Amino acid sequence: MARRYDSRTTIFSPEGRLYQVEYAMEAISHAGAALGVLSTEGIILAAEKKTLSKLLEPSISSEKMYMIDDHIGCAVAGITADANILINYARQSAQRYLYTYQEPIPVEYLVQQVCDLKQGYTQYGGLRPFGVSFLYAGWDEQYGYQLYQSDPSGNYGGWKASAIGQNHQSAQSILRSEWKAEFKVYDALKLAIKVMSKTMDSTTLNAEKLDISLLTRDAKSGRVAFVEVNAKLLADAFKEVQDALEQEKEKENK
Amino acid sequence: MSILEYNGGAVVAMVGKDCVGIASDLRFGIQAQTISGTQPKIYKIHDKCLIGLAGLATDNQTVFEKIRFRTNIYRLKEEREIRPKTLSNVLSMMLYEKRFGPYFVEPVIMGLDGPDEKPFISAMDLIGAPLLAEDFVLAGSSASEALYGVCESLYRPNLEADELFEVLGQCILSAVDRDAISGWGGVVHIMTKEGITSRYLKGRQD
Repeated sequence: MARRYDSRTTIFSPEGRLYQVEYAMEAISHAGAALGVLSTEGIILAAEKKTLSKLLEPSISSEKMYMIDDHIGCAVAGITADANILINYARQSAQRYLYTYQEPIPVEYLVQQVCDLKQGYTQYGGLRPFGVSFLYAGWDEQYGYQLYQSDPSGNYGGWKASAIGQNHQSAQSILRSEWKAEFKVYDALKLAIKVMSKTMDSTTLNAEKLDISLLTRDAKSGRVAFVEVNAKLLADAFKEVQDALEQEKEKENK
Repeated sequence: MSILEYNGGAVVAMVGKDCVGIASDLRFGIQAQTISGTQPKIYKIHDKCLIGLAGLATDNQTVFEKIRFRTNIYRLKEEREIRPKTLSNVLSMMLYEKRFGPYFVEPVIMGLDGPDEKPFISAMDLIGAPLLAEDFVLAGSSASEALYGVCESLYRPNLEADELFEVLGQCILSAVDRDAISGWGGVVHIMTKEGITSRYLKGRQD
């Protein structure tokens, strides 16, 4: 019965649903997981890399993490080709704002720009929506550190911690119970690793499958940067999480 | 009165031994009136590339802002900094696009180009005709004649970084003293593989 309304994105179903948008979200729920955790000193974005093959040429850039501007980075879940288009649009948008106002673009404004574009594809043109959800991490002078999530419908929300992609419901529930407002970057990092390990496919967690980046502002220089987490910090956090998880398992077995 | 001489100003760039330097005056004025003596005309694109813009001040600002837009996008897409030679071509294209309503700017680009970090300088006219030189390039309508003279006399190839600073400093200061609408001190940036050293010069404050 619903099939009659699938072919046009710009048409509501009798129950008041937009099927194409929902199918897009379904596509994303099969994609590699990504999550973001806000802390008092920065934002951690973690993503699961799905395309791992020995034949694949190693590339500097990630298929999951992108920098939009110096002060905004994002993680992607969904169709990578669609994501590239939106990332390009976001980058242009940020530069246009900088050109007009001589100031870095406020994080929420950038999110709105991308979401307005996504929304257009659910109402005009008869083109399918973008099959991508984003987690944006950014800092601006007005509101400090912010984490936003957007989806194919063009909706967005500000979050303290959020997950998208595969198993995002279970990831979200663990985040909800364990996130604390006093978190510093290291705590956020450990939480991210712990949640990823519980929601990823493989039973063993290895650092190669994970892409973890940090958006943070250096207090002295005032410069914001979106960078891959320092390897040593990552290794330490990994070890602590693995030890904690093993302890938990032993307790359960007893 | 030519529109390129409305604000005055002078910029010169020179090649040394494994180093490049760029210098400009500091005056910002509107015809005969001086508004500020602390306005350099040199902008940093990245650690290995500086651009100096002489000409109409408002167009200098706009052209720099457009360049910043382009180079920011370039950095995000290509995941590396733009080479000075490439930037020179981009700027040339940008200026020619406005062939029949141009930006009244005279750009000077300098940097260390490519993986070998070869010293690179270039200049162009307001509609993008590029000039690639091996020794020195300069810009600034009113001060240019004096600058050409003093640079031709003082320049010699393979100057070390300290010598390059002396030569550039003397060139810019004596040339702008011959020009009523340039001066109020100067700034010299010397770029080597290790980094950029910037020094402000105190000149005749008239």
